[in-house]
This record gives sequence, structure tokens and C-alpha cells, in this order.
Amino acid sequence: MAEELNVRYYKPRDEFKLDVTDIENFVYDMSRCIKCKGCTWVEHTYMPGAKFMTRCPSATIYEFDAYGAYGKMRIGHAMAEGLLDWNEKALEVMYACTLCGACDVGCKRNLDLEIGLTLESLRVKAVQDGVGPMPAHKKLAANIEKKHNFYGAAHKDRKGWLTEETQPARKADIVYFVGCNASYKNQEIARSTAKIIQAAGDDFMLLPNEWCCGNTLFSVGLYDEAKALAERNVEAMRKTGARTLLTSCAEGYRMWKVDYPKLLDIATEDLGFEVIHLVEYAGDRIANGALKTTRPFETRMTYHDSCSLSRLSEPWTPYEGKRGWMGCVEPRLKRRRGKNGVYFPPRDILKGIPGVNLVEMPRMRENAFCCGAGRGTKEAFPDFARRAANHRLEEVREIGAETLVAACPWCKSHFSEVTGENGDAIQVLDIAEVICASLDASA
Amino acid sequence: MISKEVYRILESIVGPEYVSDDPVICEGYRSGPGGYENGLGYERVMTLVPGCVIMPRTTEEVQRIVKVCYRRDIPYVPYSTGFYGPRSHPHVEDALLIDLKRMNDFVLDEKHFYVEVGPGMVYSPIQEECMNHGAYVVIGGGGAQASAIANLIGDGWSPLSHRIGLPHRRILGTEVVMPDGELLRLGSLATDDDPFWGESPGPDLRGLLRGYTGLRGCLGIVTRMAIKTLPFQPERLEPTGVSPDTALALPQNRVKWINFTVPSKEAQVKAMREIGHAEIAGAVTKVPLFWRAIAKAECKEEFWDIWGQETEESIANFFIVRVLLIGFTSEEQMAYDEKVLMDIMEPLGGIARRTKPSDESWIKNADSAGMWLMCGGYVSLDYVIETLTQSIEHGPTYADLKKKYTPPLMPDYGDPGWFQSFELGHQGYSEFLIYWDPDDDTDPVDRFYVDTSKMNIKNRFYTSLLGPHQPLYLTGPKYGPNYHEFLLKVKDEFDPKWMSHPPVPLAHDVFVERAPWMHAMKDWESPDDLPK
Ligand SMILES: Cc1cc2nc3c(=O)[nH]c(=O)nc-3n(C[C@H](O)[C@@H](O)[C@@H](O)COP(=O)(O)OP(=O)(O)OC[C@H]3O[C@@H](n4cnc5c(N)ncnc54)[C@H](O)[C@@H]3O)c2cc1C
Ligand code: SF4
Ligand code: SF4
Repeated sequence: MAEELNVRYYKPRDEFKLDVTDIENFVYDMSRCIKCKGCTWVEHTYMPGAKFMTRCPSATIYEFDAYGAYGKMRIGHAMAEGLLDWNEKALEVMYACTLCGACDVGCKRNLDLEIGLTLESLRVKAVQDGVGPMPAHKKLAANIEKKHNFYGAAHKDRKGWLTEETQPARKADIVYFVGCNASYKNQEIARSTAKIIQAAGDDFMLLPNEWCCGNTLFSVGLYDEAKALAERNVEAMRKTGARTLLTSCAEGYRMWKVDYPKLLDIATEDLGFEVIHLVEYAGDRIANGALKTTRPFETRMTYHDSCSLSRLSEPWTPYEGKRGWMGCVEPRLKRRRGKNGVYFPPRDILKGIPGVNLVEMPRMRENAFCCGAGRGTKEAFPDFARRAANHRLEEVREIGAETLVAACPWCKSHFSEVTGENGDAIQVLDIAEVICASLDASA
Repeated sequence: MISKEVYRILESIVGPEYVSDDPVICEGYRSGPGGYENGLGYERVMTLVPGCVIMPRTTEEVQRIVKVCYRRDIPYVPYSTGFYGPRSHPHVEDALLIDLKRMNDFVLDEKHFYVEVGPGMVYSPIQEECMNHGAYVVIGGGGAQASAIANLIGDGWSPLSHRIGLPHRRILGTEVVMPDGELLRLGSLATDDDPFWGESPGPDLRGLLRGYTGLRGCLGIVTRMAIKTLPFQPERLEPTGVSPDTALALPQNRVKWINFTVPSKEAQVKAMREIGHAEIAGAVTKVPLFWRAIAKAECKEEFWDIWGQETEESIANFFIVRVLLIGFTSEEQMAYDEKVLMDIMEPLGGIARRTKPSDESWIKNADSAGMWLMCGGYVSLDYVIETLTQSIEHGPTYADLKKKYTPPLMPDYGDPGWFQSFELGHQGYSEFLIYWDPDDDTDPVDRFYVDTSKMNIKNRFYTSLLGPHQPLYLTGPKYGPNYHEFLLKVKDEFDPKWMSHPPVPLAHDVFVERAPWMHAMKDWESPDDLPK
């Protein structure tokens, strides 16, 4: 590298770590943002035309540059340098953002900047500086602390979704981590998931005492609280001796697969078990013939990529190194660019169901537009979340889809709520329900 | 500070949600520290965070805003996407930044081959819509993310300019809000609401609008423009791959890149000229060699692994000609063009290399962002549109000067830059790009910038980056010889109060005065009353 080139440069070396608890680790990334707005536009190769041009909900709804990643990077940089203080606007800029990762993959199409981690780190900084999270988040944190779930519902009701048909085994190789939403709100997703596993001839067990995954805590910058949950949950999972943790929730999937390792400073592969989403499991079981999705479902359907299952889901590896000449790092860093997100299994599953006419929205996969609810946004900025969902629903209407399918209960909740408010005739389903309904009843 | 009273007026024009003087919102519009020309002295010395930001939706709102500014002596800066670095950002205290992104209307007239856009509309959507209707435009190399209007009033070229030609011809009916708020309608828009013609009775003011390479926001605000499109071919260029590995798959029977290696620079230039004279191909270009390393590398470290293998010798002996064939009218036409191309290349020793059947950059995704991958600091320093022959002379002279400044400039082993054919070989284009590590001492980069102007003057190369990019009192007397006087008279006539992006077009003169590390270079005369 630099040293071997025949033009020599002196360059001091800065140590850094991909550790979101210290914003200093990301000053380099913030300082190198070039305002190309690749984080906001749909990637130009896939640009669908003069409609649906953007993929950043924050920049699309609020429009001022401050809300795009380029604005957030400039504001964050000024804060890290001590040139700018938090105010109400700054909190809105940082929190009216779904941490959807569109900016991160957009930026990493061309550059090596850690935009997603920087955004997470800025929220941790808000908490460290005593201004974050938002009041609505504090309420949720209290719910989670007291009742171990997002909603503040009774902990004893967590297994209320279980039916006679869907009883877990006492011991199994698969632990189904249900998550707060499917435990309390969209219980049909939990039931469908259980049925799918059973239909494939497998058993599943539950964690002996399942608690919230802590997604919202982590996402709003409550790092220590999230870390405590990560420690507790990973420990509980390890104790089961099961080899696989399966989620039907995209947010939970990302927590277990990416953010728990991040919080625990270990690699995903060192968790001691594998984390999979239902679509990966079902895709595999359909391929090996254990599941047969033969019952027809006549509909014009579209699939919404839940961010945490798609572009945010690549495994985590801790990194510590030095940055030197031209910003090159040593040792080498394998950047998470979103290329290996879970994009194809859900599509393959849906396409395989007779009668399903799967049509893509103009923005798909890594270019998808977030539903607007994720990662603490909806609770603190409900109007923003609603507008973002409506923006996405316009796309659903544009392609004339009757059924909108997502692979995350939070997306389903949010889309259902907004379509309900609008009186839209769009059917919103989770992929677990669709798979379950298509299972060959005779099998 | 913009007074409360003015702020309320601005709110009443666009609505309270589209204007803000909150320090956080304004900070979001800082030029740097990263990006085009940022991190250099010009950004550090000349740019400031705006005092207030406003986002109009219509021409009428822009007019009303500008009139308020003119009446109240509030300097303002038009801003379409802001990608163009410090030159798109306020240079004076308490300026109003007029962010035009909400003006993103788009109309396509398939029959008459034009699109009509607002300044918020960027290139890639335009190209997608055009291609869906059998047409295409040139996406300036600065990127598919640039505002088409901002690009066309300053630049507007890419390898596709081989066939499509220079940008001013593609500007049709246009609407400009002059610095004092008066509305100027150019071309056929001057007489009715049809933007089909660029020419109109009376003087063609498009020359003033864009000059040679643009006045960068100092002569009012373009709010609407019709852009000529050209007939393309009917087959779909299909996007493929998952980011970061995406490309347009080309229908090989109708669109095809072929890379040739040739034995010498002379052969390279001859090939370009002959291809042009034969009136074939959609693009003919030679780009800097390190761009190939960027395309191959997965990360910046890998770039340096690849580029570090090169030597002055390997660079000096590598000649490539990249040709894009398009079957505009039929497959047969492209097959014929390919035969003509081979007839030209063979006697020149051209060897067709295996070329990917896809397009990663130029047709729809002109990808300038990737240029920051390896260093983090970048500016396209100089571009020259002249004859193809001069690009051979300009390149080595420039490469020699560059050596003097390396480091801090990136080691490029004497790569003579980017050159290509424009207008079917009647013109040559050469462009020089410099890269550096922003953490290094960048003062020499500032000096190199001005030194290239001196080099161009000395060697009588006709640089494109005159007034707004270089000290006007250095370049003006040498190109013209009264180019500076003419430009300043135009500025005074249309903007007597200098409210539209002050102190452009004298900004670089002011920079040289303000930056002590530039003083030793100043061997030209300038008046004492430059804005300080
Ligand atoms: C890395 C890089 C490479 C480039 N290579 C090429 C190239 O190969 N080919 C090419 O054609 N161009 C090239 N350019 C130039 C570039 O494409 C600009 O033309 C383009 O960036 C301008 O669009 P923008 O949206 O970035 O404009 P902005 O940054 O918004 O504005 C650019 C300037 O125009 C003014 N302005 C903006 N909007 C208006 C308006 N509506 N009315 C009046 N003034 C306005 C601004 O004040 C500013 O001075 C390059 C630029 C960069 C940064
Ligand atoms: S965050 Fe990345 S993609 Fe977005 S403007 Fe900055 S450099 Fe470009
Ligand atoms: S995480 Fe999503 S909403 Fe937030 S800035 Fe990035 S793209 Fe926009």
C-alpha cells in the first residue's frame, strides 16, 4: 500500500473502532460525506423515473437537506467538533429517521463510509449528552424495564398467542423468538409461524421466559439498557442448547443477528447459535420438499422489503484498527454493504404459490422505501411515520396490487393502520400468514 | 441575521414549513468538510453556513423571494442539489440559500423530443423516462444525481457528447428569474407558453446564461428549462445486480461498448478523429486509467493494491479507446457501424478487448461519487474543449505541472487525464482531475489550482474554467483581452446590487487576497476595491 508506492507520504495513524458509544470513531466518516445524495436517491441504475425517486423517508418527508444523511453528517460533525449544540430541531433531525439503512447501502455503493453506524452513534451521543431519547421513547423504555415488553402489557400474557394446535416442544433444535408485536398484537403471525415449522416436520421451543429483544432501546440510543437485554437474552438462548434461533420479526432478526453481537463486541458467528428468519427457514424447507405451498392464492401481490431483514441484515464482525494515508485502514475491513441482505427467499416463496401474481414496486430490495414505523420513529413522530407509509402505499396503488406482504409484524401493524385510516382496499398480510395459508392441507 | 419581519414575509411566500433559520437546519447546508473542492482553502476561506434557507415550489415564489432580497439587501444563493461544492454555497454572512429541490416538475414531449424540467429534477429519472420513450439525453459526467438545469447552465458533457454535441444547443425554452426578481423568458417561451425553440427573436441570451462554463448562480435563477432529447433505440437497458454491483445490461444487438487497445497516443487520437468523421458511434473516449482501478476495487484499500502495481512506464504505454455503438435506427445499422469501426481500428493496430455487456457509468448512471473512493479529496481541476490535437499537448504539459505538486496530490504516475471526441471528432475534450488526502497540508493544492491557469495562459491552451473558477483578473485580460470587463459589465447591468451569489464572479480573486498562502503567486493586477 502507501509504503510500497514510489511516492512516499508521511501520515499519522489514527486508531478507531466500530464502536457506536464513541462518536469520535465516526468523525472521519462524517467529514468525508460528499453531498452526492446517493443516500437519498434510488440508486441511479434502478431509478424508476420521475416518480418514486427517493429512498430516504426522512429527507423525503422533511425535505430540508438537514434530514438527509448528508445533513445529518454535517450536523453530527459540527456537534462532534463542539461547534453546534443540541436543540429541538437537532433531536427531530436525528430521531425522525427510521434508521432504515437506505443511506448506508446507497453511500456504500460508491464509498467506504459508515453512515448507518454514525447515525446510531449520534443517538447514543444524544443520550450521553442528556438530551435523548425522545419523551415517547422514555415511556417505552419504562414499559420494557417493568413489563419486559414494548407495550407495557402484562408479561404473563406474552404466550397468549399459543393455541392447542401450536404448542411448543419442551426441547427442540429451533427456538422461536416471537417478539413483542407477534406476542401481543399480530398473534396470527406467531401462530402461522408455529404452524409452518410444524408442517415442515420440525419442533420448536420458546425461550423459557421471553423478554423484549430491545430493538427500540438500541435504536434510540439507550445503549446500556439494550446491552443488558442482549446479555440476558443471549445467555438464555445459549442455555437452551438449541442450535437455531428463528424469528418472524425483521427487527428482532436484526437485533439477534447484528446488534446483539455489536452490543456484546463479538462476531455473529461467535453467538454460538444461528439466527434465521422465517423466510430463510421456509425457503429452505420448500426447496427440500418438506413444505409444500400448493394451495392457490389468487391475487396481485407485492412484497415490501422490511429494512431489518434486507439491507440491514448482514452479519456483524467487530473491528478495531488504524486509519492512515488516504483514509486506508489496517487491518482490512470487510464493509457491510447490504449486498447479502435477505432479498430473494421471500420473493421465491411468494412466486411459488399458485395464483400469486407477484409484481414489484418501482423501489425494491436495497432501494425500498421504509414503511416509516421502525426503530422508535412511529412512537415519537407518528405524523412522519404516517406520511412515510402513505408514500410507500402510493407505490402499491401505482402498480395496482391488491395484497401487500411484508416479513415483519411492525410493517404489517403500521401499513394496516394507515390503510385502515385511509379506507384503502389494500389487503396487508405478513408473509407467515401467506405461507401458512398456502400449505397443502392434505400434507 | 434576517430580521423577524423579513422572515415572516418569507413564510408568507412559501409557508412556514419551507423556510428555516434554525442553526441546525442551516448547518445541514454547510458546504464541507467533505466533497467536491471541499477541505481546500477555497471552502475554508470563502464559504459560510447560510443565515436562512427557503424552499420555493414555483417560479412565482422564487420571484417574490428574490424581490424581497433585492429590496432588503439580502444576498442569496441558488442551490439545486448542492453537489458542486463550495461554489454552490454562501460566500457571505447571513445569505439566504434558495434550495430549489421542490421545483422538480417533469414533462416529457415525446412527439417533439424534449423534456421540460424544474431545477430540482436530476438526471437519472430524466434518462429513464426518455429511454422509455425512445429518446436520450447526455448525463453530465458530474453525475446522474446532478440537477439537469444546474448542469446545463454550467457544464453538460460526457462521453455521449461525441454524438449529441455541446450542451448549449440542447437548451430550449427557458425561464430565468433575474437577480432583481424580474422574469426573463428565453426562446419560444418569450412569445407564448411553448418551450420548443431555444432561439427567439432578438439576441440569444443563452450565451449570457451559461457563458462558456457557467456563471454559477451569480446571474439569477433558472426556474424552468426545456431540454432537447435525441432519438435513441427502442430496446430496454435492464438494471441488474444488487448494490454495490449493479449495472445496466445492454441489449447487445442494439447497444454495445467495445474497448480497444492501440499502440500509441497518436493512434488513439487518430482513431477518435476517424470514428467521428465516419459519423459512427455514440461515444468515443479515453478515461483516466485509475478509474479502471476504482471500478475493479471493492474498497479503497484494494484500490491502492491495484493502483500501486502501476509505474510511469506502464501508464505511459497503455492506450485505450472506448467506443459505444448504438443501433439508433436498426440492428443492421449497428452491425454496419461495427464493421466501419473495425476497418478504422485495424490499420491503427487497435485490438478489441473483451468488454462487459453492460454499462456501469455514462448512459444512465454517471457515477462521479465513486471518484472519492481512494483519497477522499477531489476536484476536476481543468477542462479544455478545443481540437483533438491540442488534447495531446495539454495532457503532458499538465501532467508535468502536476508532478511538482505530488505530494500532496495522489501519485498518478503521469496519467494524462481524460480526453475524448466531442461533436463527431470536430472537437476534443480534455479534463484533469486531482485527488488528495484531505488530512494532508492542502495549501499546495490551492496553489496548483491557480498555477494551472498560468500554465494554460503560457501555453495558450483555452481553458474552460475562466471567471467563476479562477481569479478573473488573472484570466480575463489574457482571454479576450477584456473578458473580465465584459463579464463584470454584464453582472453590473443585471445585478447592480450584487445580491445574486456575491462575490461571484470575483470570488476566486477575493480568495487569493484573503489566503496568505496564495499571496506569493499573485503576479497579476487587480483593483484595490475587490470585495474583501
Ligand atoms: C466530481 C465532479 C465531476 C464533474 N464532471 C462533470 C462532467 O464530466 N461533465 C459535466 O457536464 N459536468 C461535470 N461536473 C459539473 C457538475 O455536473 C455540475 O454541473 C453539476 O454538479 C451542477 O448540478 P448541481 O445539482 O450539483 O448544482 P448545484 O451544486 O446546486 O449548483 C451549481 C452552481 O449553479 C448554481 N445554480 C444551481 N441551480 C441554479 C439555478 N436553478 N439557476 C441558477 N444557478 C443555479 C449554484 O449557485 C452553483 O453555483 C462535475 C462536477 C463534479 C463535482
Ligand atoms: S452520506 Fe454518502 S451517499 Fe449520502 S451524500 Fe454523503 S457521501 Fe453521498
Ligand atoms: S436511516 Fe433511512 S430515514 Fe434515516 S437518514 Fe438514512 S435513509 Fe434516511
